[in-house]
Amino acid sequence: MLQTAPHQSSAPTREPVVRLEAVTKLYRGGGGVRDLTLTIEPGEIFGFLGPNGAGKTTTIRLLLDLIRPSQGTIRLFGLDARRDSVAIRRRVGYLPGDLALYERLSARDVLGHLAHLRGDVAWAEVLALAEQLDLDLQRPIRTLSRGNRQKVGIVAALMGRPDLLVLDEPTSGLDPLIQRQVHELLRAAAGEGRTVFLSSHILSEVAEVADRVGLIRAGELAAVERVADLRQRAAHLIDVRYDHEPDRDALLRLPGVQRCDVSGHEAHLEVAGDLRGAVGAIAASDMTDLSVREPTLEELFLAFYDYDPSR
Amino acid sequence: MTPPVSPLNESRVRSITARALREQRSGLVGWASGLVLFCLVMLAVYPTIHGNASFSDLINAYPEPLRKIFQLEDYTTGAGYLRTEVFSFVLPLLLTLFAVLWGSDLVAGEEERRTVDLLLATPVSRGRVVRDKWLALLVGVTALAVAMEIVLGVIGPLFELHVGWVGLSAAIVGSWLFALAFGTLGLAVGAATGRRGLARGVTTSLVLASYLVATLATLVSWLRPVRNLSLWQHTMAIDPLGTGFHAERLALVAVVTGLFLLWATWAYDRRDLAT
Repeated sequence: MLQTAPHQSSAPTREPVVRLEAVTKLYRGGGGVRDLTLTIEPGEIFGFLGPNGAGKTTTIRLLLDLIRPSQGTIRLFGLDARRDSVAIRRRVGYLPGDLALYERLSARDVLGHLAHLRGDVAWAEVLALAEQLDLDLQRPIRTLSRGNRQKVGIVAALMGRPDLLVLDEPTSGLDPLIQRQVHELLRAAAGEGRTVFLSSHILSEVAEVADRVGLIRAGELAAVERVADLRQRAAHLIDVRYDHEPDRDALLRLPGVQRCDVSGHEAHLEVAGDLRGAVGAIAASDMTDLSVREPTLEELFLAFYDYDPSR
Repeated sequence: MTPPVSPLNESRVRSITARALREQRSGLVGWASGLVLFCLVMLAVYPTIHGNASFSDLINAYPEPLRKIFQLEDYTTGAGYLRTEVFSFVLPLLLTLFAVLWGSDLVAGEEERRTVDLLLATPVSRGRVVRDKWLALLVGVTALAVAMEIVLGVIGPLFELHVGWVGLSAAIVGSWLFALAFGTLGLAVGAATGRRGLARGVTTSLVLASYLVATLATLVSWLRPVRNLSLWQHTMAIDPLGTGFHAERLALVAVVTGLFLLWATWAYDRRDLAT
């Protein structure tokens, strides 16, 4: 595969891997997506987060040209999603969210068939992926557990090293060990300059692998954030312990302190922005213990967007 | 020492056509066995009827409409017996039933079983999916037709049943083309709607309508003008066993089949596929 030289990769003319412009797809029974605009750059892992039924699968199936938008344009690698669909799919690996396999075939036959249709997939690569995920290729699909079926789907998506991986809930049904393996495979793909678009309703999963997160709710894109920015912008949580009852008003006057709860000899502070002023002042005071922690991404999203996965 | 055969050799199921045939393997074997068995039973009974004058008397005593519907002329000769017992409706309609049931499933079934996402994640056009699935139907229906031809043409003489190869081949080709046309229609309705049950229902109704219009038109005069709309009229009602090949009529049915296939391709390409 051709490696893009660094000076080219930063050129402004470079096409994003995925570009959705004002895409609308509504269903008669409700659901779908409305006025979706989104771009994904080469080499990034984009996490598409939202509760079930929010429009994640609709968006993904639009990219694959399985369904067509009512309005808006969809381009992948600069190509038209519908007109150039075959050329696009040559470069895309796709794991459906509601994965169904050919029940009458063995895992080997399913993967052999798909590898043949995909073209230039080395069978050795399929075997290597299967081994990495601990998948027995000999067994008929109908005898496989949910997790093993999911592995077949993941191998099918990854084989042939496609430039873009579109994965709908990739780790659902997998045990934690295999989940980590999959995350590593995705990071490795991104490390090679390939692009990953993955959907999930589980925030911690997205947080673990994604560079950017898009939050979709009721068919509309509510927010797109870099995970790193989200972390940086976030308030830090400082827990301080004293050998006497702390002076709450004095703590609230420290720079950046937004909230302060006092219980017994302990104070819990929320500090935004630069920490040095507040931490310096506390350290110079007569405290006995001090800890600073970052909120989890889960807490951040809950704070910023009122995100509730059950909704 | 020979190297061990790796259990992890690459699969032999490669193309869409190969997979469709592999998935239908047991179905094909079952239908072939059933049809062969039916032909063998019919052949085994023939020596009892062959040249038996009392059968001729019995049949001549039947009312004329009945003789016409079941094509009962010269029942005690080989050609007459085959025409009545095998080709008047059982064999062509069974072959057609197989083609319709499978054809309706080929494209629509993949959507109903939700495997279509996986298939169309690969770089194949929807047109190629329709074409390759249809090729599987063609291979399957042809295999069954060839089996019938062999059983009747090769084993028949062992039971004193002699019909010319031309007549037999014309009757087999007529059945084959009728089955293929409606199998293709089933595939097309399935491709256009994504609903296998609907495709089976609609297509089976049209098969029966086609058969009934052509058959009853021999008795009911007002059906005569419309019988040319029936594909049965152009394939089986013209007595291929007795009159041989009718190239223009076969060409007409082949063209209609081609139109069904074009419609399938067009309709499948333009719609949203179900989740």
